Amino acid sequence: MIHVAPVPAHFDDRTLDQFAQTLGPWPPAERLLIDARGTTWASPYGLAAMLTLGQAIAELKLPKPRLAVPESDDTRSYWARTGFFHHAVEYFELAGKIPKRSGDAPGSTLVPVTAVRAAEDVHEVVGRVQEGATRILTSELKLEAKAVMGFAMALSEACQNIVEHAGTGGWVAVQTYMWQRRLGRKVAVIAVSDAGVGFRRSLEASEAKKVGERWGDGAALESALLHGVSRFRDPGRGQGLAGIKRYLLRWQGKISIRSGTARLSVLPEWDDDVPLAEHLPFFPGSQVQITIPAQEAPAR
Amino acid sequence: MRERIDLRPLLRETVTSAYNHLVTRPTGISLRQLIEARIGTNPHPTTQLDFGSIGLLDYSCADEIVAKLLLNAADDRPRYLVLVNVSDTHREAIDHVLETHRLTVIAVPDDGAPPGILGWRTPDLLAAFDAVQRLGAGDSGRLADALGWTIERAADALQSLALRRLVQAASGTYCPLPLL
Repeated sequence: MIHVAPVPAHFDDRTLDQFAQTLGPWPPAERLLIDARGTTWASPYGLAAMLTLGQAIAELKLPKPRLAVPESDDTRSYWARTGFFHHAVEYFELAGKIPKRSGDAPGSTLVPVTAVRAAEDVHEVVGRVQEGATRILTSELKLEAKAVMGFAMALSEACQNIVEHAGTGGWVAVQTYMWQRRLGRKVAVIAVSDAGVGFRRSLEASEAKKVGERWGDGAALESALLHGVSRFRDPGRGQGLAGIKRYLLRWQGKISIRSGTARLSVLPEWDDDVPLAEHLPFFPGSQVQITIPAQEAPAR
Repeated sequence: MRERIDLRPLLRETVTSAYNHLVTRPTGISLRQLIEARIGTNPHPTTQLDFGSIGLLDYSCADEIVAKLLLNAADDRPRYLVLVNVSDTHREAIDHVLETHRLTVIAVPDDGAPPGILGWRTPDLLAAFDAVQRLGAGDSGRLADALGWTIERAADALQSLALRRLVQAASGTYCPLPLL
């Protein structure tokens, strides 16, 4: 038997819940067929989440899922150029025509889909952004040099959450694109996803009793993101997310973290998302999205 | 007397990356251990950490290098730490992590601006620090005259600077640390 899970046509942070719903109970009792044939676009968040799903299934030693790749040539080509298929082949049995990865990532890609397993990977990702992305961030997003450094710091801290807390590897991708409908401006987006234990399990030993009956994925996210709680006793811990929040406050950015069945966001004025969404369909690991808008007036 | 430690060569010993960024907690821990070893063999009481060839410094690395270095030195024989060639972005990360620990350090900016204090501070601490830098060695009476304070207020501020190892204290006199 095989369980078919269709990927939304437009696969991003807003449609991940819909995709998670189609997966059914976790862990899946049957082999999965991830059907992306009708998918025409996926954000870095969507692609990183998809790899996380494959990784989580592999770590559970369940049968390798099949992934039916998009029918659209453009979409397939784009996924190849972001590096997605390069990693996906390890976790999925790919069904469909797979383009060879050309040398050039799309122009909007600041960091292609990249595995993060150790501190050295974080060095490489941050170095690559500092080296290659500064021009794009300053010219296209009108970020000041200081904001570009802050962007790299946010990226570094977000990636470190994988190394420090997840207990397994994860994925990062960074891209700029035009948010015409949502914002009317260009944005830079950092997407980080890991297949680890999630915030609730990471903080359970130290926080569950304190929080009491409300303890769950949502409360764990609040502890980490709003109160700077870390599973380590060292008071210097938990500063990474606090630093990201400070940076985002200054540059009107947004951070959203999904873990297990909850998603918590720190919202700028321009976003109409709910701060806390609970009782969502389960998705393995944790997914972080950081969005920095171009520093200019909205298009009229 | 002081020793200056350039962080770039130490970073090269710590990670294989070709980049000059101080990022990640494990990198910070390794680098701090190298710095502590250098300080341990250094006969001079003052150590300057030179950030001049460092690009990015993230919060985790700032915590492991600067905050933990100050915390670990707390019970040691009198040691003084000064950060030199600190950029705006370095300053932001260091300031944030030191405030969390209620620690303070002297930083000399890379743009020629006067030295300042990063981390936890009060208006009196800042005023006293600036005055000691300007006036040079002296006692609480001299500081009180310069700032129009009572002797007690000046003495409190100087003692606080000395306890935080932002000035050197000896027999009731105080002098600035070597910053060049």
